[in-house]
Amino acid sequence: MAELQNSGIFAPRVIEEIQAKAESGLYSIRGFGTLRERRWPTFDDLTFLPCSLTRIPLEGYREKCSTRTILGTRFAKKPIQLDIPVMITGMSWGALSYNAKVALAKGAAAAGSSNTTGDGGMLKAERENSRTLIYEVLPSRYGINIHHMRMADAIELTIGQGAKPGTGGLLLGSKVSDRIAEQRDLPIGVDQRSAARHPDFLGPDDMIIKVEELREATDWQVPIFIKLGASRVYDDVKLAAKAGADVIVVDGMEGGTGASPAIFQEHTGLPTLAAVCEARSALQDIGLYGEVQLIIAGGIRDGVDAAKAMALGADACYIGTASLIALNCNKPIYEDDYRAIGAAPHACHHCHTGRCPVGITTQDPELMKRLDVEQGAERVRNLLQVMTLEIQMLARSCGKSDVHHLEPEDMAALTLEASAICGIPLVGTRKVFGH
Amino acid sequence: MAEIDATGRTTREINSAIRQCIAESCPEITVRNPGARHNLAVAILQEAHIRIAGSAGYYCGGLIDGAAIEIEGSAGWGVAESMLQGTVRVHGSAGSGAAAAIRGGTVIIHGDAAARLGVSMKGGTVIVAGDCGYMAGFMAQKGTLIVCGDAGEAFADSMYATVCYVGGKIANLGTDAVIAAMDSADVEQLEKILGAHLPPALRASKPRASDFKKVVAGRKLWNFDKREWRIWQEAL
Repeated sequence: MAELQNSGIFAPRVIEEIQAKAESGLYSIRGFGTLRERRWPTFDDLTFLPCSLTRIPLEGYREKCSTRTILGTRFAKKPIQLDIPVMITGMSWGALSYNAKVALAKGAAAAGSSNTTGDGGMLKAERENSRTLIYEVLPSRYGINIHHMRMADAIELTIGQGAKPGTGGLLLGSKVSDRIAEQRDLPIGVDQRSAARHPDFLGPDDMIIKVEELREATDWQVPIFIKLGASRVYDDVKLAAKAGADVIVVDGMEGGTGASPAIFQEHTGLPTLAAVCEARSALQDIGLYGEVQLIIAGGIRDGVDAAKAMALGADACYIGTASLIALNCNKPIYEDDYRAIGAAPHACHHCHTGRCPVGITTQDPELMKRLDVEQGAERVRNLLQVMTLEIQMLARSCGKSDVHHLEPEDMAALTLEASAICGIPLVGTRKVFGH
Repeated sequence: MAEIDATGRTTREINSAIRQCIAESCPEITVRNPGARHNLAVAILQEAHIRIAGSAGYYCGGLIDGAAIEIEGSAGWGVAESMLQGTVRVHGSAGSGAAAAIRGGTVIIHGDAAARLGVSMKGGTVIVAGDCGYMAGFMAQKGTLIVCGDAGEAFADSMYATVCYVGGKIANLGTDAVIAAMDSADVEQLEKILGAHLPPALRASKPRASDFKKVVAGRKLWNFDKREWRIWQEAL
């Protein structure tokens, strides 16, 4: 008998999804980020071209390769100075547990890097344990506090997020504990929806005034970042630069989230690879490349992704999900508790439930105890340091004495699409396709 | 009493002069010729009384904690936004997003307020002696929002625990906004607030506290319920 065949259109997963919607009356909300197999062009579609005869490599471990990263040189009196170009992105206390926030702050500080507050404001312990803290100003303005803002080393005005550009965040009721409700001025246990737009400006022209307000509020001392979810990156980056940003953060579609409709994670925004290329072009075309620093975020997993993003034009990278994985996200421990929420190690994207088996994305005191702050901080530091070593290894092999000297010509494209997107030759040819 | 003439000065210079006066123990400050400039008197964190002798642009008195700011003309968008404590009084009218995201303090507008008055407010008290525009109280979380005149469309949409009082007509209620009964405690509290913050002549021209309507969240959006999907369809 011939083998029974599934539909390619109505595949088993699609059938299950339709029936789940029919049963529940609710669209799928979850955490983590896109789960789709990566069929769009990614950093994996590029390969480095280390030195041989035409260029001379530097000796690993012996010859210096600087990783020092300075951000905010355009207008701020005090640009931030980091030892490494890998930073921890904004994730809220609320989406994350207290222990997770403190562990990230400590880990980043130990590695000489920065961390960022999130939707819900600053934690005292976060400030105390950070070396360089970036204060996020989000559309919801939860926990907004001028005193905290003035304690920060940089301000990040967030317009959007890569996982869900054009929409606000979600924090389901199970995570709106008494402490989180107090911090955010909300009733306990509500399914909290964050605003999609800022309450006091709409477009790029009045954002210019908002940026001036933030500068006045912080005495023009600290850098102002503008963070964009990657959609119309080329135009958005120009507008953010026009608004007076010192630093522009572009967050690609592979970026993570604590909770959002699954369709946003899967079907909105530009891939990070394309986002960095558009952002660089935009800054070059207005003559501000190098003057306005560029941070790239969205699915950065290791030093290789980071090095490729930097070679394409980023000054630094944010990591979010990778830092949580360093804290034990998706690790095969407490496996029964993964099963209890319908997940499994390596396949858990249930941050939205507040029942994180490893104590990261929960407000439950008992679950949170599973994340030891000191041990977690150590792992975050190790990850940041290893990623930095990976970037340095690649940079030295390309003959660079500073990781920021990596450039597009240090790479070749493995696919036609990557060649066209990045403007670098396809392997085996000397042609840049599509240009 | 210090006077700062804004003519020919940058916003940076005006705000620096304000801070300088406060630092020199002169907390009574008048800014002359403000010219509807943006970002005047933002992030003032001390007890000071700053009089803007004219109209102000965007974000006047934004991000303050404890100061009293008086705008003798009208105010642009986002007046007093994200204030923690303090008082911001606008003698004229206010642009959109007045008192956006305030967490405490009091905003008093003698004239009218434009769209999204008190949007995302997290505490404090907002009083408008005149009318307010579209979507006042949108996603407001805590605090008290008082409109003595008429309220525009989609009033009090998608709120959490803010309590609103309207003295005039409400064009229509926003999603999940409901009229609640005014009890004696409401009347007493409202009269006390209006009496304390509006000049007597202005107060006298407005409705009696007992004639105000009270609007609160119906709480149908607080937690998702598939039986209420029509509301969510509108809300998201």
